[in-house]
Amino acid sequence: MNKAQAILAALGGADNIMEIEPCITRLRTVVHDPSRIDEAALKGAGAHGVMRAGTVVQVVVGPDADTVCMDIEDLL
Amino acid sequence: MVAPVGGRAIALAEVPDAVFAQHMVGPGAAIDPVRGPGVVVSPVSGILVKLKPHAFVVTAEDGRGVLVHLGIDTVNLDGGGFVLLAEEGRVVPAGAPVIRWNPAAVEAAGLSPVCPVIALDADRAAAEALAGSVALGPVRAGDRLFTWA
Repeated sequence: MNKAQAILAALGGADNIMEIEPCITRLRTVVHDPSRIDEAALKGAGAHGVMRAGTVVQVVVGPDADTVCMDIEDLL
Repeated sequence: MVAPVGGRAIALAEVPDAVFAQHMVGPGAAIDPVRGPGVVVSPVSGILVKLKPHAFVVTAEDGRGVLVHLGIDTVNLDGGGFVLLAEEGRVVPAGAPVIRWNPAAVEAAGLSPVCPVIALDADRAAAEALAGSVALGPVRAGDRLFTWA
């Protein structure tokens, strides 16, 4: 599983993503069901940190965030 | 590392964004910029590996990267009010002009103009040493901001 696949799975899969966009070092996403987020799996996939506020989840992945985001969007 | 903008250097913990303030992106400092048009300069010598209108990353020869983020949530401005003075891939010396902007315009748009300056992928020891070396208080663009040994 590559990074994008691992992160997407840890976010609850493609059908859990309402929207996702990158900003330099983080992915900002809005999910349908926050209980499907697996923070440990996100860290395992390489996330430096995870910040959650309800259905809004920010995943800090590092400066390759836009590449990771594009790869994730290909999987949606 | 030199300050990319002039203003008041503050601790990262004071940045109004939890991801930066909790050092999730890395250690460093932030600058509450002077409210007026200005030029943002590179904090280190290296390659401009990433250049967006509102943020950039310069990677030094030894591979260490520094992120400068102009304002908080400014990706939402879609580049409006930011003028690029360099291009991605260019080798720049510390202090070289990268972007022209106006923090007052960012503030007028309802966003914080505070600029985090982050040492990317610093290990814990370096992060602690860095935190102790931050020159808080008034700073001019090009002045020493922190030391990343």
